[in-house]
Amino acid sequence: MITTKNKFYVFYKYLTLFVLGIFILFPLYWMLNLSFRSQSSLYTRFTLLPLDLNLQNYRLAIENDFFLTSLRNTVIICFSSTLIAILFSLMAAYSLTILKYKGRDTLGKIIIVAFLTPGAILFIPMAVIVANINLSNTLKGLVLVYLSFLVPLGTYLLIGFFKSIPVELEEAARIDGASRLQALILILLPLIAPGLVSVGILTFTGAYNELLYALVINTDPAVRTLPVTIVWLTNSEESPWGLMMACSAIAALPIMILYFAGQRFVVEGLQTGSVKG
Amino acid sequence: MSKSEKVLKRQNNKIFGLLKPDSLFGYFMILPALVVLSFFFAYPLIYEIYISFTDKTLSNDGDFIGFKNYIRLLDNPEFVTAIFNSAVYVSFVQIGKFTLGLGIAILLNQKLRARGLWRGLVLVPYAIPGFVAFLIWRLIYHTEVGALNVFLQKIGLIDAPISFLGERDWAMASVIFSTIWRGFPFWAIMFLAALQAVPKELYEAAAVDGANAWHRFRNISLPGIRPVILIVFMLSTISTINSFEAIWLQTAGGPSDATVILPIFAYRSLTSFNIGEASAAALSLVPISIVFSVLILRKLRKD
Repeated sequence: MITTKNKFYVFYKYLTLFVLGIFILFPLYWMLNLSFRSQSSLYTRFTLLPLDLNLQNYRLAIENDFFLTSLRNTVIICFSSTLIAILFSLMAAYSLTILKYKGRDTLGKIIIVAFLTPGAILFIPMAVIVANINLSNTLKGLVLVYLSFLVPLGTYLLIGFFKSIPVELEEAARIDGASRLQALILILLPLIAPGLVSVGILTFTGAYNELLYALVINTDPAVRTLPVTIVWLTNSEESPWGLMMACSAIAALPIMILYFAGQRFVVEGLQTGSVKG
Repeated sequence: MSKSEKVLKRQNNKIFGLLKPDSLFGYFMILPALVVLSFFFAYPLIYEIYISFTDKTLSNDGDFIGFKNYIRLLDNPEFVTAIFNSAVYVSFVQIGKFTLGLGIAILLNQKLRARGLWRGLVLVPYAIPGFVAFLIWRLIYHTEVGALNVFLQKIGLIDAPISFLGERDWAMASVIFSTIWRGFPFWAIMFLAALQAVPKELYEAAAVDGANAWHRFRNISLPGIRPVILIVFMLSTISTINSFEAIWLQTAGGPSDATVILPIFAYRSLTSFNIGEASAAALSLVPISIVFSVLILRKLRKD
């Protein structure tokens, strides 16, 4: 009696997981399906399943100058803003957790408030300010703007990581005669390394996926980022859905690889951010 | 030591008491972050508040006009619609993410083969860039190339394709559904981690006492994950209220203004080059952000 009941239970458990799997993966399948169709077969063949495996769209994508330029722009922006954000966040989080000084808690609060303030509130003055300092339509300008949310994000996450490591080690090293800086580099940095990987992944994807600032601040095709270019593709007359999905697939690939290669760090980062913060 | 030297020493102590080596180093280390935030957070915010009281346009710096922009906003039926839509959108999205996230977390917390693999699967919608995800959903809902219409027609449920993003009756529900798809993994992963942190002995003890599954969930799991539920809810709500791209990439606020939420409204105002009014619209998101920020700060301090 109990075993049959268990069997049913196990059956429904895996059935639910299977349905969940389809729900999760279907959009990815649809992206690939459309990306492998030629423009003419998009409308003529109402099929759910077969893929044409027509590589035309991928060829068009990697030969499209707009796409390649924006890919290059995105890579430059993401790497520079991530590296700067990691450095500044590391310094700030270290300062806010390990060192004691007047006004520390207030500064910490300001950074968390900045972390919680979304781009939707700030994008208008940001565009005006970037224009006023003559950095509209430059990669530099967008890097600076991205730091405004990447640094608070990184600091917020790293504060959590710093709180979860044994600070006594740093104190012990200092008693043994190490300077603050030596203790930071030799003792704390190795301990915080997983946190830096998490922050690296999350800030990089944050910059990579950003749409609103990029849309408002960089309108010149030469400095557009990937999301803006792909969206811009949809506005053309002939609605090149297949090409758009091929570009999307190419754009999604590096980020998905990054996430799954660093899955452990991503999950740890999210947890640290929302629980230990 | 002369009197003046003593005074000098006391003054030095005062200054160096504030600027102990630790303090100096502390300020030095946080300085880069503060410089960034001064120029690209505090300054824009203050500047935006100032612009919102002027009739600034793209070409004209504008004059001070008091609360006129705000009054005009309240008289604007589209703004009122945007507030209403935001409330509907956020409520349903958050209910959906919570239900799905909790259900999946409980499922993944069972005895499972290859749990790591399933957890990885759940992460997929979160790992895919948002702009890609919403463009795909736009093409799933599409009347001509959309999978949903193909499927519904194939199984004979509908005769003619439905414009899921183009009809007033469907658009909001459609964007809510796709936003849930993109957003539930964060909740599921957080809830799962919290569930796994609940001590197993509690469940064993409850089982010995004869508590059934519901009682175990109600009295052990739920209290165990309550703090995580709260913080995830607050973080996710802030980002959902401001989810510009989800709407922009699928409907751009349409049909007419059926899916206009506040960030979309602000963006539309900006593209009409009335910067003063657009600023006032964007700032209308501030009160709710403040409420959630205060709640989160209080929560973090307690921990």
